[in-house]
Amino acid sequence: MNWRWGWEAATFAPEPGESWALLAALVLPLMLGGLAALRPPRRAWVVLLAALPLLASGAALFQAVQGVALLTWSVSFDDVTLALRLNGVAALLVVVTQLIGVVAALYTAGLCRLDESAGRSRWLWPLWGVLLSSLSVIWLAADLLSLYLGLELMGLTAVGMLLLSGKAEALLAGLRYLLVALVGSLLYLLGVALILAHWGSLELAQLTEVVAPEPVAWLAAALLGAGLATKAALFPLHAWLTPVHASAWTPVSALHAALVVKASLYLLLMLWSLLIPESHVAPLLLGLLGALAIVWGSLAAWRADSLKTLVAASTVAQLGYLMLAFPLLLGPEMAPEVQTLAWQGFWLQLLGHALAKAAMFMAAGNLILATGESTLAGLAGTSRRLPLSLLVFGIASVTLMGLPPSAGFTAKWQLLQAMLLADLWWAIAALLLGTLLSAAYVFRLFRYSFIESAPRKTYRPLAPGMEGGALLLALAALLLGLWAHYPLSLLQGASA
Amino acid sequence: MMLRRMDSMMVSFEMTETLLAVALTLAAFVCLFDRHLLRATLCFIGFALLLTLAWWRLATPWLALAELLLGAIVSGASLLFALGVLPTGAALKPRHDRFPVPLSHGVTRLALSVLWLVLMAAGVRHALPAMALSPSEEPLLIAAGVWVACALGAFALHRHLLRRLLAFNVLGSGVFVLLAGMAGPMLAAQLLILVGLCIAALGTLLGALLIRRLYHLEGLEALDPDIDKTVAQ
Amino acid sequence: MNAAWLPLLALATSLVAAAVIFTLPERAWRLRTAINLAAAIAKIALVVLMVRRIADGIEDTLRFQVIGGVDFVLRGDALGIMFAGLSSLLWLCTTLYAIGYLGRSPNQKRFFGFFGLCVTSTFGIALADNLFTFLIFYELLTLSTYPLVVHKGTPDALNAGRIYLRYTVTAGVVLLLGVAMLYSLTGDHSFSSERGLAPYLDDHRGLLTLIFALLVGGLAVKAAMVPLHGWLPRAMVAPAPVSALLHAVAVVKAGAFGILRVIYDLYGIELSVALGVMTGLAVAASITILYGSLRAIAQTELKPRLAFSTISQVSYVVLGVSLFGPFGTIGALAHLLHQGLMKITLFFCAGSYAEELGIHRIDELDGAGRRMPLTSVAFTLGAFGMIGLPPTAGFITKWYLGIGAVEANMLWVVAVLVASSALNAVYFLPLIYRLWFRPAPTESGKAWPNEQRHGRLETSAWLLWPAVFTAAISLGAGLFAGLPYSPLEWATRVAVEEYLP
Repeated sequence: MNWRWGWEAATFAPEPGESWALLAALVLPLMLGGLAALRPPRRAWVVLLAALPLLASGAALFQAVQGVALLTWSVSFDDVTLALRLNGVAALLVVVTQLIGVVAALYTAGLCRLDESAGRSRWLWPLWGVLLSSLSVIWLAADLLSLYLGLELMGLTAVGMLLLSGKAEALLAGLRYLLVALVGSLLYLLGVALILAHWGSLELAQLTEVVAPEPVAWLAAALLGAGLATKAALFPLHAWLTPVHASAWTPVSALHAALVVKASLYLLLMLWSLLIPESHVAPLLLGLLGALAIVWGSLAAWRADSLKTLVAASTVAQLGYLMLAFPLLLGPEMAPEVQTLAWQGFWLQLLGHALAKAAMFMAAGNLILATGESTLAGLAGTSRRLPLSLLVFGIASVTLMGLPPSAGFTAKWQLLQAMLLADLWWAIAALLLGTLLSAAYVFRLFRYSFIESAPRKTYRPLAPGMEGGALLLALAALLLGLWAHYPLSLLQGASA
Repeated sequence: MMLRRMDSMMVSFEMTETLLAVALTLAAFVCLFDRHLLRATLCFIGFALLLTLAWWRLATPWLALAELLLGAIVSGASLLFALGVLPTGAALKPRHDRFPVPLSHGVTRLALSVLWLVLMAAGVRHALPAMALSPSEEPLLIAAGVWVACALGAFALHRHLLRRLLAFNVLGSGVFVLLAGMAGPMLAAQLLILVGLCIAALGTLLGALLIRRLYHLEGLEALDPDIDKTVAQ
Repeated sequence: MNAAWLPLLALATSLVAAAVIFTLPERAWRLRTAINLAAAIAKIALVVLMVRRIADGIEDTLRFQVIGGVDFVLRGDALGIMFAGLSSLLWLCTTLYAIGYLGRSPNQKRFFGFFGLCVTSTFGIALADNLFTFLIFYELLTLSTYPLVVHKGTPDALNAGRIYLRYTVTAGVVLLLGVAMLYSLTGDHSFSSERGLAPYLDDHRGLLTLIFALLVGGLAVKAAMVPLHGWLPRAMVAPAPVSALLHAVAVVKAGAFGILRVIYDLYGIELSVALGVMTGLAVAASITILYGSLRAIAQTELKPRLAFSTISQVSYVVLGVSLFGPFGTIGALAHLLHQGLMKITLFFCAGSYAEELGIHRIDELDGAGRRMPLTSVAFTLGAFGMIGLPPTAGFITKWYLGIGAVEANMLWVVAVLVASSALNAVYFLPLIYRLWFRPAPTESGKAWPNEQRHGRLETSAWLLWPAVFTAAISLGAGLFAGLPYSPLEWATRVAVEEYLP
């Protein structure tokens, strides 16, 4: 597992250009966010122009990792080491984060243009900057202190963003989320404390050499797992997720569902592969919960009356697929090829779902904004009047359903192959059932949209950039499935 | 300085530390279980000030300063703001938590939190035989364990938002002390606690803003499924 | 020399057309029509080029890696190009027909966009060189046909769409499981490789049979084999061009074609026989043939009768495959083309009757032959083909299937063929009798149910000529079956390749 996570000595020292790119990727979002708070942008091209250096830094990091597979940076003082590492996984995640972040910014600019009264929107920009930076820290960090810092910053910013719509429901949901997140982070901190106390280090690369299967590892893994599962809305700790999204602003929902919950899950997988790589029970438990999550989340989405609730509930189900990968990735008797397949499937599903879910929230937001109705029944007749938003929703839902040629399908394919090799038939059943259920809830929405007898309404026009960006993300999720070989080759780390 | 403290620990349960631990625990109890909200909040500020002393005693002056600034001043002020005491001084809302707590409810929550405490203590003792500060010699650590359990129970038991926020704060303080006890005087541990303190203060600030706003908008004081429904309608 | 661009370009014509149509505004009627026709003609030209190259022995292949050990491969081989050619030719005809049929009705952008996607998927299914690629396009076909089925937006159409999805998505999941299990057992397996699955027979007999059942079960839903046929008659609420191309050709044929691929190019005929699955398949096909015909007789409306006829006719292909022998194969392959040409003619005509005269029920057809002579001639030719009267194309396939059955020593299949021809006659001849020999309602002073006068001819030229054209081709395929590049000649070429490696 170590080489996959990049916990080993790098062969090459980073070049100055690469270090600058790293710095830019971490700091530029903060600067751009601050700048935008002072002068909120209203036009799409301004946002695009400002985002160019950020995207360039991501591209540079991507370029760097292709040549050398692993780069590390670290600063030490006294017994504290702050370490960053850039490997294939991190580079992919950073690039996808920046992409989604920029599209969300485009969308926000459009939203502000339409909605003159959005006075609080000014606050969104600095929070956007902090969120992107802290996410990048989480993807890149290789020590528990930086990870804790990134996780907490991300959590608080996420709560802050979700509150911005200012409605009472948003505040209630946000407060519940805040309490859950804070208690979750305390559990996380206790786990870290155990690790620090027992092994005397917070740097992951060092820890890999000393961690052994002993009670303290299990206890720490349990505490970390409980804390992170709460933050990642893993079933059955998902209750806070749906209300939070029901009343939040669209770009915020997109960022949150696409990236924030994934960050906690990423940490969970990473720390468990560090602490309990050979354990059997915990990953199996998580996998079984994942199977339940798929069914439960899909049924909740199927029963939903409001568009945003549907999209949010489907996140619970989609996280279930990722949980299903745990018993394949960790475990004493898993063959290397099973782990490789599951590893690829996990990341494809995570990236594909991030892109598709962001696109889907934006499409849903567009539909709600244009029709002025937030229920499914209010969508009647939209297939004629709002074809593009609906098409974006459709393309994104192809990924969600896991139908070809989307990333969701390729991910499902890899997971299915791994499960077949490992003879996990209950997981196969859950995976296939998930496809059927997700088709059920997605097409329930389309059924409404095709109704022709709906009364004609006047639809609000949308600002430029609100649909184009979402379409871009949805297509990216679709094509990622077909050209999966290229990103997957990066995931394999140095030895591939 | 470290060595001297280690020496003094040989004399187990030194007087001042025991007094400090008892005082902190008392403050925590009042803070968690007093229905008079202003009194509870003031007790929390007292708790934070005492904790500042404790950090000082544990030879971590930076943390003492941080606790003073973030715990006592920022969090305390936030909580007072949420109560409506600051900045106007006018009483905006009832000062009592009037939500009834059924006895069975209370008993089960209490039992659960005690169970958690025992499990946790056993787990830590079993997993980590050699802690940096031995609980048997450091009354603060035992006290911290008690706060954590009480705060968890209170967090699960109370419905009033402010009391939950208070419970979270006590819980956080307990965890920080436990962390210091487990990991000892490493810089890494202090940095972790420092980050944790900042986050707790920020979270309290955010929570206080929210509570005040919610009360202003809807007259709400608690999170409940049935309340969610009435708001949604 | 391999020209990888050729299959890609041929695939892309309809895909790009669909993408461009989605970006055009709804009112850009002329531009949309121009793009549609240009793309359809370009596609036919490219297919013709590919046919010539295949005749010269060059199989153009496009290949790239999707994930480790799994490639996306499109290969222009003789069997695939048959289906691809059929769908390209009929795409042009149906586009012309649809332009006339839809007139100025709303939602055309959506219709033609998804129509292009459907054709792309069908083309991809035809040229897919491994099961993974096949699966991609197969699922894409499911998704892109849904908006066409529910096109009218009425409660009927929406319910039909729901039932269509229930069947096809479930089938897709079953197919996915089968494909994944096969890959897990054998790895990537090209349809064009000579190496069959025989090496796995000894150790994995049960598993191979299970996988066969999953694959064929998943494909049989789209091929509308009994008892998995329930979606097809309901999907007839779709507009006539959709029923014509998709439910007579693209979707049901995709299922039948998939079964062909699985048996001929994946398992191999010998292995399928050795597994003992062929007899079961032949029985299932026979049941479907008879059941479809019997149900067709009971229908009182035109389109459902044609739909049940489709159910019956598509299984001829499956029946031919399950007869172990070259004549059965030739019959099956030729029928793939012949049935498409004949059935699309029938659906075109049914749509024209509905548009011009408002005829939906069979008893309303009385005397329509004199009002719409050319359409009715086309309909009659199609119906004769379905019954299998010489010299139509339908006769040729039934003849070959019969010889195949005799050669395979399965005389009961001959009985099934005779019975089904008789049943075909029972449900088609009354239609023809009504068309030509019963008095029209106008003669007794009544009116047609809903007469519209589209154009100077008997109906709009857009509606008329495609039907006449496909009828002429289906007649020609029978009359000139011996000429090079006729469906029969090409089917023989494929069958020879399959049996003489």
